[in-house]
Amino acid sequence: MSGFRLADGGRIDRRTKRNFTFDGKARWGYAGDSLASALLAQGQMLFGRSFKYHRPRGILGAGVEEPNALVTVDRGPGRVTPNLRAPSVALHDGLKATSQNRFPTLKTDLIAVNNVLSAFFPAGFYNKTFMWPRAAWEKVYEPIIRRLAGLGDSPTTRDPDHYDATYAHCETLVVGAGPAGIAAALEAAANGGRVILIDEQEEIGGGALSDPAQWAWLAEASAKLAAMDNVTVLPRTTAIGHYHQNFVVAAERLTDHLSLAEAEGAREKLWRIRAGEVVLAMGAIERPLVFEGNDVPGVMLASAAKTFALRYGVAVGRKLVVMAVHDSGWRDALALHKAGVNIAAIVDLRRDVASELTEAARNARIACYQGYAVTSVSGGQAVKGVTIALAGIGKGQQLDCDAVLMAGGWTPTVHLWSHAKGTLRWEERWGAYVPDKTHENLRCVGACAGDWDFGKGLSGGLLPAPKPLHESKAFVDFQNDVKARDIGLAVQEGFRSIEHIKRYTTNGMATDQGKTSNLNGLQIASGVLHRPVTEIGLTTFRPPYTPQSFGAILGHHKEALFQPLRKTVIDDWAAAQGAVYENVAQWRRARYFPQGSEDMDAAVARECRTVRSAVGVFDASTLGKIEVVGPDAAEFLNRMYTNPWKSLEPGRCRYGLLLGEHGFIIDDGVSARLAPDRFHLTTTTGGAARVLNLMEDYLQTEWSDLDVWLTSTTEQWAVIAVQGPKARRVIEPLVEGIDLSPEAFPHMSVREGMICGVDTRLFRVSFTGELGFEVNVPAQHGRMVWEAIWAEGQKHGAAAYGTETMHVLRAEKGFIIVGQDTDGTVTPDDAGLGWAVGKKKPDFVGKRSLSRPDIVAPGRKQLVGLLTDDPQAVLEEGAQIVADPNQPVPMTMIGHVTSSYHSATLGRSIAMALVAGGRDRMGETLHIPMPDKTISAKVVAPMFYDAEGSRLNG
Amino acid sequence: MVEIAEIAVSAAELKLGTEPVAGASVTLSHAAPRARYSLRARDAKVLSDVIGRALPGRIGDQADGAICLGPDEWYAILPEGTAMPRGEGLPVSVTDISSRALGLVLEGPGALGVLSSGCPLDLGKMAVGRATRTVFETVEIIVWREAEDRWHVEVWRSFATWLWNAFLAAIPGAHG
Repeated sequence: MSGFRLADGGRIDRRTKRNFTFDGKARWGYAGDSLASALLAQGQMLFGRSFKYHRPRGILGAGVEEPNALVTVDRGPGRVTPNLRAPSVALHDGLKATSQNRFPTLKTDLIAVNNVLSAFFPAGFYNKTFMWPRAAWEKVYEPIIRRLAGLGDSPTTRDPDHYDATYAHCETLVVGAGPAGIAAALEAAANGGRVILIDEQEEIGGGALSDPAQWAWLAEASAKLAAMDNVTVLPRTTAIGHYHQNFVVAAERLTDHLSLAEAEGAREKLWRIRAGEVVLAMGAIERPLVFEGNDVPGVMLASAAKTFALRYGVAVGRKLVVMAVHDSGWRDALALHKAGVNIAAIVDLRRDVASELTEAARNARIACYQGYAVTSVSGGQAVKGVTIALAGIGKGQQLDCDAVLMAGGWTPTVHLWSHAKGTLRWEERWGAYVPDKTHENLRCVGACAGDWDFGKGLSGGLLPAPKPLHESKAFVDFQNDVKARDIGLAVQEGFRSIEHIKRYTTNGMATDQGKTSNLNGLQIASGVLHRPVTEIGLTTFRPPYTPQSFGAILGHHKEALFQPLRKTVIDDWAAAQGAVYENVAQWRRARYFPQGSEDMDAAVARECRTVRSAVGVFDASTLGKIEVVGPDAAEFLNRMYTNPWKSLEPGRCRYGLLLGEHGFIIDDGVSARLAPDRFHLTTTTGGAARVLNLMEDYLQTEWSDLDVWLTSTTEQWAVIAVQGPKARRVIEPLVEGIDLSPEAFPHMSVREGMICGVDTRLFRVSFTGELGFEVNVPAQHGRMVWEAIWAEGQKHGAAAYGTETMHVLRAEKGFIIVGQDTDGTVTPDDAGLGWAVGKKKPDFVGKRSLSRPDIVAPGRKQLVGLLTDDPQAVLEEGAQIVADPNQPVPMTMIGHVTSSYHSATLGRSIAMALVAGGRDRMGETLHIPMPDKTISAKVVAPMFYDAEGSRLNG
Repeated sequence: MVEIAEIAVSAAELKLGTEPVAGASVTLSHAAPRARYSLRARDAKVLSDVIGRALPGRIGDQADGAICLGPDEWYAILPEGTAMPRGEGLPVSVTDISSRALGLVLEGPGALGVLSSGCPLDLGKMAVGRATRTVFETVEIIVWREAEDRWHVEVWRSFATWLWNAFLAAIPGAHG
């Protein structure tokens, strides 16, 4: 038992008790306490175990810089948050917190054996040791390291909370609501612009919260800000990153400070703020000192002890020793003394300290040891005393105490400044980097600008010691267990840049990101290398400033709102019919319509037979559609597509093949000329947005002289494909103003007229090989027209079919699907579509690439058909193909299966494949090795049904 | 092995509401059916003559339902059934897209907050009567400030269900 509650003082509400548990034990504190202050008040000094050596650790800081006291807070199933810093956890009734990184308990930790053996676990240990033998990695090393690695446990159940998100705009954003930030906000607000003031703590005030002399001013300033219409004050909000053009992302914690019963609404809110000017008032963080035993629980920052006493009314011990190299340690000691905390001694490495400080200390009857350093700390799980020595090497002298306060100077918090690519300059007076130049409308004020009076001090954190560096256990990075000697070792191993030293030692990594360790690490490296700090470099600060929940970053993008699921106007009808769906790009499409107990194979077989023998109806609404309009429309399409378009007559359709500049197929579709200056293009479902962007890109950058404009009409038209020998009979009674006779309305033509009383663009096209129509109607009428066609179809035995049947029917005809039978390396000739390339055309996108040497070289993979020797064997799509199944492994793979189905029409399996030199292999038998057997198949032309195309006419 | 519940991204069904939904400070409803046209031309005068309507010249301006979206692009939201000449042979593009989008209306002091929850523009500074093409999170929309607290949002039909529900999710956090 060491810490205790002072008789008075602090901003806590002593009339309101809060009950909570820590590691299962009942505890209590007051409203306004943090988890750390409440536990310290009850004498808890041990808060956690260190990451690598499992050393007992206590509180180091009173804010987000805390590297040791990481806790897990359990708010019920799915609401377990690891790695929260105890000083930043607000106390509420029913809080359930547990310590981390200990096994089985905080006091008795078995893995602390690492600590005894720590001489065998130096920096770089993992990199070197677990390399050999190679086979042991998977079975031995990795499972063990995985169990030991990581901080806290990952959640294993769904997070039931929801998260809010918003954009916000302001003329001035102030990050940090200490005295400097509040002053900046008041000044900006007086100019009338919108001001947002954010602060990570429970209440605004920053350092002023630990200085009762400023409380009256703080109350007045807070009231003034609250009364201003143009000011938004956001406490419990952390600015996690600064991005280009003053875009700052901040996470507001809305309910974590409340008990679950009081928590209403979203748990957190993500603020995406665009600000005219950003003012950073993020303050500074005190630096620890590096000496033997500086990690014993009870050794902490002087500023932390001051905050616990003055803000929370908690003394961190009954007899404190201050180890300072900076005036601020003396000031804090005097403030603590005034608050009733017993300061036994102030030890300062400096012989010369300002006389007003030394006199004040003597008047307070505090023993002063100038020119001395702490050389060791006694105590395991709590401080029992310290040894001090003149200049760190003189004769040791014991001092009794139960807490040690370190005052190593201050480090301006420049994280967001650095996110914004602001440059830093070394400031000798601070022994730290301070903001220099920026290209954003961004400035720093107060301590983070280096503009704050903490007094004078030394800038090096490593205290002189009797032991050589390589024998000492003086910690630099508490969270990652990096000792001063590890940095020495890194230098000895040849690392010179701080970026390398960081990665070798892990100094400044994990949740802490070096908030307390960066500069000490830098200065120790500088000392060992005998080079100035500025020549060693500085590691880069990256967002987030403190760890954030994934929930806050996702905002509303969760579960059903994760991303839009696009449905056609016929989707509800399909759902009512029991359709089974598949997702295609963002669309949900009906895959098949099972009847009774049918599985997919049975349903697809029935749907296929119905289309081939009677008629089928298919929702093709997701096809991409682009209206191309203007006097230069035909010229434009002629340049985009491989085939000629200028000669296409109004009322006729053409299959268009689209290449990239590389000459490979990227999209295809049937398009129609409605008028001399108007085309109705179709694209693949997944390619719609991409193709429109590509075309728009060419229009704006290459051919801006053309008078032609593109409009996406994908969602304007619902498309109902009616396919099969009875297709004409189904639509005939519904259509007005269009002569459907084969002579008047041949295959690959389009007519405008009416169907069911609404406008239609009626296409006579076929992706099945049967007589077919595609009925385009404005989407708002799609469902009505579908139902009318469906009702008419019932007289002719129609079936609704889905994408799976569509795939089988087109494969029987050898029609490709871009992205399935092509993979971005397939030319028109490879796909057997050489006929679709206009030989006489002067140019089109991709034309030049088609004459590249490797494109015209023999042996390219070409699309062929495969018929398995066993007609019932259905090949696996993606399976590799070899010429000789008896060759040794690894075999030479000459191609792969792209499409494969059982064809009910043919009573056997069919497949398409890309095979090297495929068209020269007609009749050859190839082999498809599978895990359990090898399947043989004969190479055939990719056309399995009605090669002469007679069925197109019904 | 840690068992993690299966991720269901698109299995959950969202429904597009039909009736207005009133929150504390904002009401979400459907706009009446409209005729919609995409209007394109290099020369606004030629287009204006074809359709017999004045067209605003400044991007973001709106006049009688015609919004100037870009240097050569207008978007007309007109009473249902309004027909328009197509200007055959002229250097213009008049395309009927009446069915492509749906109109949603956010009305009330909290409407701006709902829109700002997912739209990165500084809509608070948008003058009444102005309109623009923008996004709500990943979904393209056109926003038209019809009155101080009344916003008309155009969204492609298949994205409307998601947008309707995203608006609903934002209503509780939006204050007037």
